[in-house]
Amino acid sequence: MDFDDTPDEAAWRAEVRSFLDRHPSAPEQPRAWQAILYDAGFVGVTWPVEAGGRGGTPMQQAIVDQETARHGLPPLINLIGIGMCGPTVIVHGSDSQKQRYLKRLLRADDLWCQLFSEPSAGSDLAALRTRAVRDGDGWRISGQKVWTTLAHLADFGILLTRTDPDVPKHRGLTMFVVDMKAPGVTVRPLRQMNGDAHFNEVFFDDVRIPDEERLGDVGDGWRVALTTLMSERLSLGGGGTSIGPKPEAVARHVAAHIGALPEDRQVLARQELGRGYVAALGARYTGYRQLSKLSRGELPGPEASAGKLSGTRSARDLTDLAVRVLGPDAATADAAWQDMQALLPGMAIAGGSDQVLRNIIGERVLGLPAEPRADKGVTFRESIR
Amino acid sequence: MNFDLDQEHLDLADGARDFLSASASPAAARSALDEGAGVRPGRAELIKSGYATITIPESAGGGGGTVLQLAVVAEQAGRVLAGPSLVNFARAAVLLENDPDRLAGLADGSLAVAVIDDHDPVLDAIGADTFLTLRDGTLVCGPGRVTARRPVDATRGLGDVTLGETTDLVRDARPRWAKAERVGRTILAAEGLGAASRLLGMGVGYAKERHTFGRPIGSYQAVKHMLVDVYVAVEQLRSLVWWAAWAADRAPGELPLAAAAAKAAAATTLELAAETVIQVHGGIGYTWEHDAHLYWRRAKTDRFLLGDDVAAFDEVARLAMGEAAR
Ligand SMILES: Cc1cc2nc3c(=O)[nH]c(=O)nc-3n(C[C@H](O)[C@H](O)[C@H](O)COP(=O)(O)OP(=O)(O)OC[C@H]3O[C@@H](n4cnc5c(N)ncnc54)[C@H](O)[C@@H]3O)c2cc1C
Repeated sequence: MDFDDTPDEAAWRAEVRSFLDRHPSAPEQPRAWQAILYDAGFVGVTWPVEAGGRGGTPMQQAIVDQETARHGLPPLINLIGIGMCGPTVIVHGSDSQKQRYLKRLLRADDLWCQLFSEPSAGSDLAALRTRAVRDGDGWRISGQKVWTTLAHLADFGILLTRTDPDVPKHRGLTMFVVDMKAPGVTVRPLRQMNGDAHFNEVFFDDVRIPDEERLGDVGDGWRVALTTLMSERLSLGGGGTSIGPKPEAVARHVAAHIGALPEDRQVLARQELGRGYVAALGARYTGYRQLSKLSRGELPGPEASAGKLSGTRSARDLTDLAVRVLGPDAATADAAWQDMQALLPGMAIAGGSDQVLRNIIGERVLGLPAEPRADKGVTFRESIR
Repeated sequence: MNFDLDQEHLDLADGARDFLSASASPAAARSALDEGAGVRPGRAELIKSGYATITIPESAGGGGGTVLQLAVVAEQAGRVLAGPSLVNFARAAVLLENDPDRLAGLADGSLAVAVIDDHDPVLDAIGADTFLTLRDGTLVCGPGRVTARRPVDATRGLGDVTLGETTDLVRDARPRWAKAERVGRTILAAEGLGAASRLLGMGVGYAKERHTFGRPIGSYQAVKHMLVDVYVAVEQLRSLVWWAAWAADRAPGELPLAAAAAKAAAATTLELAAETVIQVHGGIGYTWEHDAHLYWRRAKTDRFLLGDDVAAFDEVARLAMGEAAR
């Protein structure tokens, strides 16, 4: 056991640092910043070289993330592309799809989004209804997606559709790469509770997709989607990444304000800080354990969901404390903490709700029996009747 | 970075598991409670096995090993509610460094040491003949008279100690005392980790077997989700225990925060696990014959040892804020 950088890791960290020292601020344009980082070799570190990546280790990627955060530089814009869409294309895409898309995705020449959720298919993703129907050498898509992060800026998306309603629901799905600028695609931004509009409704009105844009086999879309969801789990909850504020930043903020509180409130605030801090450290070091496993070449398992589950909880508790130590002023003041507070409830839903993640861990990690299901063994058409 | 146990640790854990599960058990903990029987495996056996003396230097007859190694063993001890605790051995090894004679006595069993904190009762006072404590900043040592109390958890050997004539060992011993307490918290947390993970296994096993309304209870989300929350807490505790043990050996600057965090997490996690597993077992979980209450007793006792969880959370907060101000 060892927390020190190995000689290789230390050399890598020095390389990253010296580059970032020379780029103390990022350009206004987030795509431009990602392109700069990519050209320097610091985006898609773990991606295979053929896919435009570095063929590096998860630890190297973590070091890049640590150092960019330490330098106060912004995160990448194309995170959904890098974390979810790209890995899916790498596993299931054709050679020409890989050629066309991957490097441009890493440079943020193209932004990507993930078109999975629908009004009637969130947790129960395989209940989706967006139809893809054969049309000569291509397909025609009709239906609606929702909660699609970044769709309003995206150039491409991975799109999960139903191609056969007359088989059980997981078997009739097919995945495509869709050009978000194609005729018939309409994107309507939704305003989320923190006031921003990062996610969208997306309407597909007879949109044509050539067959060469299919990702994986017809009817094999669920298996393709599982690749996406596995990557999502890791990018959201695993590998030592953190959700929400750094606990150190909360401690600094509480330290600055706690003196103004009445004595009994100080005691309570310290208890809450202690509890939130311990939970955040627990999540952080559990992430380090996962990172160590990944670096030995082990695959991310369902236990990566635990990081998101506990990370969102402690992030919410700590952020709430940060707001509350401001006293009644907090009802109107301090936009930064308020913003964070209004962002975090979404994290407990996005990428699998807390309940769904508990089901996954309970069944896949602890081996507890699955719930009986009403839709088992019946065709999708029958299941929606 | 490689934040994982090495093969050497895994082998050590296997050996300790074999030894401890052959010599201690919840059944033994029950009879200690029922009949006042001695705890198992007991001091002599623990010393003979070499596990209790891992952190004592080889020159004094110990194993010359690390706190992390002892933590790995302590987890296995916690699984079977073994006694006496490895905490006093770990603390005494720190307090008595530079005292080769007493260390040798600790290692060969001729000294049965317990450490007295401000807050009585004393862990494993029963069976101890030599006591270490801090008096006005000086580390002192002496014999004592032990009064047993009616125990909540008989495996913890709690008693009140009236110290006899003491000898001054080390002046200005506060830093050393603090370090020993932190190492002790780490080992206590490791025992809590073992107990909590054993509880989780019991709960999961039962939830797969027991059927109600025609399905295994583990298929009900109310039950499943409770167990998942225990699982998440146990895995986080494991990470904190390893971090604290590693810090004790390799990064003394990180030990105060890590040990307080591990102590606090152990207290809350073991309690959560015990309460959950009693609930999951229904009426059976509430019986004397079932093992759950023996672990529950551990939880309800351990949370007070080496400072309670409220104090530990407070310490985490103070350290974190202090760190932030720098
Ligand atoms: C900030 C944000 C960003 C998002 N970005 C994207 C994106 O880029 N692309 C995309 O495709 N989707 C995205 N989503 C959608 C997200 O994946 C879904 O919102 C999520 O899966 C929940 O689905 P739902 O909203 O339909 O809620 P429902 O599935 O209707 O769930 C409602 C409630 O019921 C509970 N529930 C449902 N099923 C079960 C069950 N079996 N057991 C126990 N409880 C259950 C849920 O936990 C939840 O509390 C995003 C969501 C958010 C909040």
